[in-house]
Amino acid sequence: MNAFLARNRLILLAYAGMVLLLVVTALFSPGFLSASNMRSTVVLAAFVGIVALGQTFVIVGGGIDLSVPWVLNSAAIIMALLCAGQDLPLIWVAPLVLAGGATIGLINGLGVAQFGVPPIIMTLATNVILQGLILVVTGGSPSPAAPSVIKFLSVGRIGGIPVIALIWLALTLIATLLLSKAAFGRHLYALGTSATVAEFSGVPTARTTVLTYVISGTTAALAGMLLTGYSGVAYLGMGDAYLFTSIAAVAIGGASILGGSGHYLGTVAGAMVLTILTGLLPALNLSSGALLVVYGAVILITVSLGSEAFAGLASTLRRSTRKT
Amino acid sequence: MPGGFSQRRIRSGTVMDLVVATGLTKRYGGIVALSEAEFSARAGEVHALLGENGAGKSTFIQILSGAARHDGGSILVDGQDFRPANPDAAQARGIAAVFQELSLIPDLSVEQNIWFRREPRTLIGTVDRTALRRKTLELLHKYDFPAIRPDRELRRLTLAERQIVEVAKGLAKEPRVLILDEATSALPAREAEWLLKLTRRLAAEGRLVIFISHRMAEVRAIADRLTIFRNGRTVAAHDAGAVSDGEIVTQMIGRNLDRLYPERLPTATDRVALRVDGLSSGRLSGVGFSLREGEVLGVGGLQGHGQRELFQALFGAAKASGGIELWGKPASISNPRAALTGRDGIALVPEDRRGQGLLLTKSVRENLTLAVIKRFTDKGFLSARKEEALVKEMVNFLRIKTQTPEQLAGTLSGGNQQKVIFGKMLLTEARVLLLFDPTRGVDVGTKGEIFQLMRDLAAKGYAILFHSSDMPELVHVADRVMVMRNGRIAATLEGERISEEGILGAAMLESEAA
Amino acid sequence: MVLAEKAPPHGGTHGSTRDWRGWALDRAPFLVACLMLLVIVGVYGSYQTGVFTLDELNLDTSAAMTLMLAATGQTIVLLRGGIDLSIGGMISLGTVIAATRFTDDPATVLFWSLFVLALGAAIGALNGLLISVLKLQPFLVTLATWSILNGTAMIILPTDGGSVPGWWLGFGYLTLFGLSSPVWMLLALLLFWWWFRWTRLGITIQATGSNEKSAFLSGVSITRVNVLTYGLSGLFAAGAALYLTTQTGAGSPTIGKDYILPSVAAAVIGGVSLFGGRGHLAGTLVGAFILTLIGNLVFVLKISSYWQPVASGVILLLSVLASSLAEKAARGRSA
Repeated sequence: MNAFLARNRLILLAYAGMVLLLVVTALFSPGFLSASNMRSTVVLAAFVGIVALGQTFVIVGGGIDLSVPWVLNSAAIIMALLCAGQDLPLIWVAPLVLAGGATIGLINGLGVAQFGVPPIIMTLATNVILQGLILVVTGGSPSPAAPSVIKFLSVGRIGGIPVIALIWLALTLIATLLLSKAAFGRHLYALGTSATVAEFSGVPTARTTVLTYVISGTTAALAGMLLTGYSGVAYLGMGDAYLFTSIAAVAIGGASILGGSGHYLGTVAGAMVLTILTGLLPALNLSSGALLVVYGAVILITVSLGSEAFAGLASTLRRSTRKT
Repeated sequence: MPGGFSQRRIRSGTVMDLVVATGLTKRYGGIVALSEAEFSARAGEVHALLGENGAGKSTFIQILSGAARHDGGSILVDGQDFRPANPDAAQARGIAAVFQELSLIPDLSVEQNIWFRREPRTLIGTVDRTALRRKTLELLHKYDFPAIRPDRELRRLTLAERQIVEVAKGLAKEPRVLILDEATSALPAREAEWLLKLTRRLAAEGRLVIFISHRMAEVRAIADRLTIFRNGRTVAAHDAGAVSDGEIVTQMIGRNLDRLYPERLPTATDRVALRVDGLSSGRLSGVGFSLREGEVLGVGGLQGHGQRELFQALFGAAKASGGIELWGKPASISNPRAALTGRDGIALVPEDRRGQGLLLTKSVRENLTLAVIKRFTDKGFLSARKEEALVKEMVNFLRIKTQTPEQLAGTLSGGNQQKVIFGKMLLTEARVLLLFDPTRGVDVGTKGEIFQLMRDLAAKGYAILFHSSDMPELVHVADRVMVMRNGRIAATLEGERISEEGILGAAMLESEAA
Repeated sequence: MVLAEKAPPHGGTHGSTRDWRGWALDRAPFLVACLMLLVIVGVYGSYQTGVFTLDELNLDTSAAMTLMLAATGQTIVLLRGGIDLSIGGMISLGTVIAATRFTDDPATVLFWSLFVLALGAAIGALNGLLISVLKLQPFLVTLATWSILNGTAMIILPTDGGSVPGWWLGFGYLTLFGLSSPVWMLLALLLFWWWFRWTRLGITIQATGSNEKSAFLSGVSITRVNVLTYGLSGLFAAGAALYLTTQTGAGSPTIGKDYILPSVAAAVIGGVSLFGGRGHLAGTLVGAFILTLIGNLVFVLKISSYWQPVASGVILLLSVLASSLAEKAARGRSA
């Protein structure tokens, strides 16, 4: 049990931070903990969380995905254009858009794994290329409204629980199974810790790398479609904020940006922390500028904790070896 | 321990001695690297520092060169206390080290490396490139260096050339004390000879050269005195002429050689486990041989003659052409994954434990089972129970000293880390094992266990290809020894012909002639 | 072994035959970037008259100078093997401070300009300190400081606005010998680099990026190198901010993010390695010119300006592929 605590210390810290934030917020604005407010917080956090799901896989594998903003945005716009506000086309549009996201991920992954392009450059390039292509396609004009099914998925409720929260929960379950209970997870952690050791141990490193980017492309596309439902329309630039928040959620959730450690469960807490902060600041009468300052401070604090925590963990282990 | 030697234990340094260390202690976390070590050497001598890997030699020279600080004891240089805060401070007192782990910068040129941070400068603070070139040529000329172009970028040089640049960098500091840490190990014969001559010359100029080498012949050829470390302690100091090789070796390992090596029973059958035909990869050209079931086949030769390429090519870690047959069936091994195919596969214990073998920040359990995740996967899900059983089996079988399987691999001792890598490969059930220098940096006790394990595995029908940079290991453990030279197999020694002389002879015969 | 074969066994004379192919392979990414720039300028020139004039040079340089300044700092950081995302926040903050504090009084302008520059250097130094003392990843540290600086800029000036004196706006139009001040700045940057890369600091930064452990063993203080590297980057970002206000005449709390990734892209297109130790400012400046001129090219070709990001992405990928191919070829030769 002790080993469990030591191992997951950073994730637990992220949850502790989340609870602390909730308590503090409740003190400042008693209405914050109301059911409706919590609901809207979870809904907003879900979008961050879904984008950050793919980002978690990529970062644990030792990479980074800067293409999420425009994969998300492209997915939203293409879906809106193809559906033209109708529900029926979703039957083929939704799979098509998800496959499109996966394809961008595949291209990113192949560039990184097969051609040795640094992840930052590869995903930056696909991001700007997508941005340009979408601008060319739309001519910069806004797209039709979102189909009502999509609206239901992102703002609707089943038995008082937001549908998107259920979607998020299901995705969290799948991600957790993949990371903790499947061979893929083992491969991924090994790859992120040392690509060479993983390769020498028979881990399919190229395939694993590519898969992380495919997952990231898919979740970004999914988030794009759902976000269209939330805002009612798809618009240019709707994905921009998600580059920063997806990486921040992963970092706050305790993953190392170098890869090899972290878990999606931590990222979930990270997404919640970021969203609660967004909700907290208006209550405190603080501007969006102050929110960014707080974001930065929170990232610095959590990664510092991570760094020290690792040193502490190592020394604890060393002490325990000395005893034997 | 033979009592006779303790009387010759070092007396604390005399007035004449340039470097005197007493009671020197250094800990890394829980590991004691140096424990009350003594050392004393005078100007004008070549002083050999001997000891096995992990005996504390590297720690000692790191302290002396300012790369690490001691926890206890004292060092006197010129009779004055010496506790350098960093390599610069050590240099200021006239001590320079030529590290085994090269301290060179890949993207700087040879001359920039030699004078790094001490470059001659112009009035505007930039490097005076004319003076830099002149000083470099002067230095290379003065000490008769082998030809190296000063403007070459370092990453374009061979390992041997880099080692020579490292020596030049040390000499450029005009040190009174020069530490050479295994400086000859990467050098071809001619350059090694040059370096030995240079070492004598430096001593004749009145400098102290602290010389670390595993080659007894070299130590014999140039050392005036020698100090022997074992397990972080000084076990003896001698005048070089006063002791025999046997005495030195016994003091280094602290017990008789015969107990280190297990009995070598003939276990090889006629069945061929691995047949290699015309294998080429990098400098490896057209190698062919067969390895039989139950056999330990040694691979020897001077370093850098294709041994590494051979092992990497067989494991699919390097591109190669040629035929490989495993248990009579042609195998196409394009990557390690294709090599690790269960019972009929081929497994490698790689040379670089930390870089290729172990996930240092992951647990012993995760490391052990990394290559065999399929073995405990049920309908796509990992079974913790089955995994635990596999881990337990290996921890017990190899006697891995770990508190719990959850302990991080990086916190184990070198020997136990190596056992974890062995365990990982044994779990794959591959019966053809490639062991590349498996005892490097491993304590003597574990070395013995590893050799015993190799013979036991051979008796069970495993086929083992075994490379060691330590010749006696090949002589005492292998059934046959292939000697490599220039990427080819120069000779295969069997029975009585397996000896250090035989291996060296085959390794050097033609390179001498060429 | 290679070493002993042809060369005389001893003696200090060294071959002087220039290996031109090796030389070209070593500089392949830079040469490819130059080639791309030539092609772009060539196409541009064949569709538009007056491209090959000083006026055009003055115009394009003044358009590219903000990116060039930001990318100069980024190049130093990349050479060290790091990355600096905080320059985006510093540029925003710098423009906001200038636009809210500058008055017509030159002394005030001078004071606040120096303040912005000092602030940039100090924030950069803080980045370097955080990275070395807490042993954190540059990516995350500078991501966090980017957010903090950007937020601060938004607190000072929530939306684009503010003003600078008229004479400040005229800076880009000053000319000497027919060359505008941005062109002189470009020359000054090249001169700076020619000096800086041969100073001990420049070499030490490059060496630390090339192999941190070796540099440490050679006595380099990693903390000092980080503080100076990121401090310089912050200083250049602050300079970029001040220059930007001479172009826009206003402060913007969000404009900085448009320079973060392009500064990395300009350097990479110009052959600076993301892994540290290799690259030159000349390449970065060529990269910055390429990224700027693509806009002109799209304009004269009369295609949608939306193709501009597509083109820059493709060029970025092409240059990375070119450099990895060249590296493979060079390795094949030396093996």
